[in-house]
Amino acid sequence: MTQTISRRDFLKIGAAAVGALAVGAMLPPKVAEAARAAGTIDSQGNGYVHSMCEMCVWRCGLIAKVVDGKVVKLDGNPEHPHSRGNLCPRGQSGLMNTYDPDRVLTPLVRVGKRGEGLFRQASWDEALDLVASKMTEIKDKYGAEAMVFSSTHNLSQPLFENLLYAFGSPNYGTQRSLCFNAMIVSNLMTYGMEEPERIYDDKLKYIILTGRNLLEAISTSETHDLIMAIDRGAKVVYLDPRYTKTASKATEWLPIKPGMDLAFHLALLNVVIGERLYNRWFVEQHTVGFDELKKEVARYTPEWAAPLTGIPAETITRIAHELADAAPHVLVHNGWRTSNFINSFHTQRAISILNALMGNWNVTMTAAAAEGAGLGAPPQPPYPRVSTLRLDGVPWKYPIVPFKIGVFQELRDNIVKGDPYQAHGWFISRQNPIMSLPDRAKTLEAFGKMDFIATVDIIMNDTAWFSDVVLPEASYLERYDPLLPVGDKAFIRQPVIEPQGEAKSALWIYKQLGTKLGLGDFFQYEDEEDYLRQQLKPLGASLEEVKKKGYAEMPEGEPAGFTWSTPSGKIELYSDTLAKVGFSGVPTWEEPPQPKEDQFYLLTGKVAQSTQFGTQNNQLLHKYSDEPRLWMNARTAANLGLATDDWVEVTSEVGQIHIKLLATEAIRPDCVYMTPGYGHLSKGLTTAFGVGASSSVLHVTYADPISGGQALSQTFVTVKKA
Amino acid sequence: MKLSITLSKFLRIGTLPLVLILLMAIAAVVAFTRYAFGIGAISDLSYSYPWGFWISFDLFTGVVISSGGFLMAGTVYILRIKEFEPLLRPSVLTAFLGYIMVAVALLVDLGQPLRIWYMMIHWNHTSVLLEIGICVMSYLTVLAIEFAPVVLERFPTLHEIAHLIHKFIMPFVILGVVLSTLHQSSLGSLLLIQPQKLHPLWWTPILPILFFTSAISVGLSMIILESSLSSRYFQRGLETHLLTKLAKALPITLGVYLVLKFGELAVAGDLGYLFTSSVMSALFWAEILIGVVIPIVWFSIKKNQTSPRGLLTGAVITLLGLILNRFNVSWFAVKHPDPLFYVPTFMGNVRYFPTLPEVAVSIGIFSAGIMAFGLLAKYFPVFETEHEAETTPVPIRRLHPAPTVADD
Amino acid sequence: MTEIKHHAYLFDATRCIDCRACMVACSVENNIEMDKTRIWVAGLGVTGEYPNLQRGTMVYHCMHCEHPDCMSACPVGAYTKAEDGPVSYNPDVCIGCRYCMNACPFGVPHFDYDKGIIDGAFIDKCTFCPQRIYNGQEPACVATCPTDALEYGDRDELIQRAHERIAAHPDRYIDHVYGEHENGGTSYLIISHVPFKDLGLPELPETPINEVSEKVMEMTIPFALSWGAVLTAVSAGVAMYDNNKKKNGKSAEEKKAEEPK
Repeated sequence: MTQTISRRDFLKIGAAAVGALAVGAMLPPKVAEAARAAGTIDSQGNGYVHSMCEMCVWRCGLIAKVVDGKVVKLDGNPEHPHSRGNLCPRGQSGLMNTYDPDRVLTPLVRVGKRGEGLFRQASWDEALDLVASKMTEIKDKYGAEAMVFSSTHNLSQPLFENLLYAFGSPNYGTQRSLCFNAMIVSNLMTYGMEEPERIYDDKLKYIILTGRNLLEAISTSETHDLIMAIDRGAKVVYLDPRYTKTASKATEWLPIKPGMDLAFHLALLNVVIGERLYNRWFVEQHTVGFDELKKEVARYTPEWAAPLTGIPAETITRIAHELADAAPHVLVHNGWRTSNFINSFHTQRAISILNALMGNWNVTMTAAAAEGAGLGAPPQPPYPRVSTLRLDGVPWKYPIVPFKIGVFQELRDNIVKGDPYQAHGWFISRQNPIMSLPDRAKTLEAFGKMDFIATVDIIMNDTAWFSDVVLPEASYLERYDPLLPVGDKAFIRQPVIEPQGEAKSALWIYKQLGTKLGLGDFFQYEDEEDYLRQQLKPLGASLEEVKKKGYAEMPEGEPAGFTWSTPSGKIELYSDTLAKVGFSGVPTWEEPPQPKEDQFYLLTGKVAQSTQFGTQNNQLLHKYSDEPRLWMNARTAANLGLATDDWVEVTSEVGQIHIKLLATEAIRPDCVYMTPGYGHLSKGLTTAFGVGASSSVLHVTYADPISGGQALSQTFVTVKKA
Repeated sequence: MKLSITLSKFLRIGTLPLVLILLMAIAAVVAFTRYAFGIGAISDLSYSYPWGFWISFDLFTGVVISSGGFLMAGTVYILRIKEFEPLLRPSVLTAFLGYIMVAVALLVDLGQPLRIWYMMIHWNHTSVLLEIGICVMSYLTVLAIEFAPVVLERFPTLHEIAHLIHKFIMPFVILGVVLSTLHQSSLGSLLLIQPQKLHPLWWTPILPILFFTSAISVGLSMIILESSLSSRYFQRGLETHLLTKLAKALPITLGVYLVLKFGELAVAGDLGYLFTSSVMSALFWAEILIGVVIPIVWFSIKKNQTSPRGLLTGAVITLLGLILNRFNVSWFAVKHPDPLFYVPTFMGNVRYFPTLPEVAVSIGIFSAGIMAFGLLAKYFPVFETEHEAETTPVPIRRLHPAPTVADD
Repeated sequence: MTEIKHHAYLFDATRCIDCRACMVACSVENNIEMDKTRIWVAGLGVTGEYPNLQRGTMVYHCMHCEHPDCMSACPVGAYTKAEDGPVSYNPDVCIGCRYCMNACPFGVPHFDYDKGIIDGAFIDKCTFCPQRIYNGQEPACVATCPTDALEYGDRDELIQRAHERIAAHPDRYIDHVYGEHENGGTSYLIISHVPFKDLGLPELPETPINEVSEKVMEMTIPFALSWGAVLTAVSAGVAMYDNNKKKNGKSAEEKKAEEPK
């Protein structure tokens, strides 16, 4: 399973992994000096340090046990609302992330061809000077816009954005359009906020999950909430073409035809409105646009939806009744990754609206706190004005996609096309676009157009493998990041051990790079601790105390009222904003494309033992992961003469892969499924290289014109024996 | 074909020894690999199958075929039936070598072979295996003492010690019989703790009694086998009249076993399994027919009791059947239930089939035993009785039958 | 939390989402090698025919039986059952005979098949995290479980809790707490929505399965002494008979010799 790379003299990507290495026999220990100073670690190098996980975006609070200067165990922080004392398998494996033998621990500069994996070590000064000079060169020659900046949202994002905006480029790539643009834009249109907070309490009686495989795509506390709700007897209706682990716990699993979630929810709206099952008082008081909605959904009867979805009309009607009966203690979950079909935006709108019709505001849904609110920040000058067009079509092609979210796949496409202008440089931090963007071949083509690529990463991930300069970030157990408010506390991430090798925190990297670019004024903090002190100033808490406790108390926020930041100040069942730019103001039916006779829907999803594209090299997770396979319905497979363990060739219109088959009952006959994140190209990932295949090779690029969301399930494939 | 290698004027190695040495060498290489890289490197043993070919062949079979020793020692010394004396020393040697082979096999099979003596000082009194370990190790000592005179008599200066041992041999013989009874039956007791794993056709609380009873039959058959083979290889006469008496006893000992076995099945209400358990039923009938029923019939026929060919054939059949019984009880009929492993995949091996290296180790050890028997029989008065050895202190190889003992 | 008199686990198969956090946590807490594990998953997984499907898996580790068969079987006494529950293994006396692996009905002890004579091949199994439970913490697997499928507490309390949960949702659970009585009781209790055998759990009687074996072992020494006595008596008797015969035979000869010619 593990593949060792051949060594070159000047190549130092990290020590090779020895097969049966116990977790404790890792690289030399370094006790965090800061932790020692804070008194959390004693002179022997033993103690407990509070910090936050980064193995996924849920960021559970953790308590790290340090013995003899080494991190030996991570436990959930009982005081953190996202963990409540628990950690999911990825959280538990976190120290293997830090001690991964494939860590990049010094700045690396490419010496061979891109993709050969030949690098030489360089000092930080040399590397940063190189990056700064190249970026400046591109700015001088082609304009700041020729420099693309992309990063997946993380706690140091504000400083990354500093770099981007101060540099003067409009081109900001986040991963959001590959994930939840549909949901966010829909909620912005409906509720005026990106994502309401969900409340799972004892009274919650009815939950409809559309996708959102919460028991595999684990968000620790919410996963716990869902299981407890089921345990108490709440009914969970779960829509998914696959019998996932969530399906196995749900009260009712509906194997809905892909792309038809919209029909289902429109039919629910039809019944709820047609039979007057909605909360009339709430609708009158707090919403606008009911009449337009009612007119639109009149034709979406359950009988109309049944043949489309494959769900009997009686079932749809019954669910609508059950939902209304249980209102307002109901939750129609928006989902998370909602970039499935072009029509996903309207599905999201239907869901957001359905919640409103049930009147569950401040019962099971409420306003989430704004990020970073209540914390201080270093002063900085205003950003330079940027008037050039963005490469990702916002807003000239995507009028209502927020700037901070963008349309990443469009950005990549226009890099390839060179339209409206050619980009020449790419600065990537904590992101793996080569693996995450659909149509990997095209992404590699985009990389080929770059004069210069610099990546910040902790390990030789695929994007780093194809870069010109790799800057080693310290892993989350080795660094400070800006504070993160959750509930009524602002939690700290602090080093549990000193960064190994030359690795540095993003806070440091961005400041150094910014300074070398002449943008030092935008990074007015001495070091990480100084930054945190500035953040804590309004709270009046000392950093030393926060380091010991793990958090600072925040002042009580205002309880969410019944106002929303929409143009009307109410929940918008009909959105004027949408109508003004030529889209339907109410959710409306859009027929999704369907595969031909010999094709399958290519589904992708989550497993509890990995996160996206970055954790497959973690040996602890690898140990307990299922082998990545292509799922196919058992009967379909038999008809095609295929059996479990067969090697199959999967072909889409943009790529082809080879993968082992799993014939299973747990999937619709017209679908195949694979777990993304495998099929890594980087040989520097000695555990992950050679394992599985990449779904991104197959994915065709689509962008929903309304939310910019990629339609990840709209790729159709043929499967045959390899 | 008589192939032989002449290494020097004084050293010529024949076919059989050559083959045996080769087999021993292969086993040594495998054992070395085992010591360097672990048991998993050369065997198919797994979490689901911690015991396999080695235990069935080297331990279970190895111990039971050594049961002739205490039978003859008891007969000659306790019951004082002196006419069987010619059979005493060879069967003691067979037993002695048998148990040494068991010990050597354990040195390969145990996880910590250098700690094999821990059983002498760390005791868990509920453990059947402890009892077997202590008994086997003690009995080896007893056998060594019982066999020592054979070696000592070769050297005229050491006759005195041999004589001394003869004088005080009784307590050791009694101890030997007690120890043998204990561990021959305890091998069956080993399976008592697996009532849900061993098929009902075999599992019973009286397993130890069944094992002991069948061990007697095996012992008798082994003596017949060993005598027949030795007489051919060493070109000496066969004590047919003695073997006839053993053969006459076999239908009785086997009959007792048969009654006990089927009686136990009836009392436990397990008779139904006799015909409804497909492979298990087949294995059961195979062992009962081959190892018990056919031998009872065979050895009731006068011709088979008295002819060398009849004796040898009958012994081989009995041994095959009863050894199958040992394999059934320790391996074939033990259902290590498929625990439906799911994750992690490195635990998934729930099937067992011995690898070639595994078998090679056992064969090599067995070859060593045969080799040792041959060498000891060649250079030491194994086939002489104590009296003869003392009165004829010359190199032993005889070409005519030993004088028969006068009837008592 | 009330004081724990007898440490035990409760596993609720309806809550387990097969995420394997417990396994990763155990591997880390106990410094387990990458190709070894003390916890594993077993069960039939997904059963049925699309779309009528069901799923059942169980998280396994040592059951910490009340009457451990490993402890009964081990010749050198490498296993000990603490008074307050945990069954522990001592590698310092282990000879690697693997009898415990045969004896355990759950297939718990794992042997180092990949270790040679220098490293030493030992058994590995769940220890009940003594370094945690005697310091006021839960075992690593329980502490991390995101869905409370694994719970920890006093055995009697957990049994009661299990029965209460079954009574509260009779249509959800099979009305049985596995481990309450099986094999004389275990300290790893299971409640489930699917048959226990579908989770890979063996059907075991209430009487501990080592009962017959231990009873037979108890008879060993008395039997050995009795048998030795019998043999001694027999050999003495036969010797006397033989001597008498010799004497009589001699006296007959002597008599003959002494008879007047």
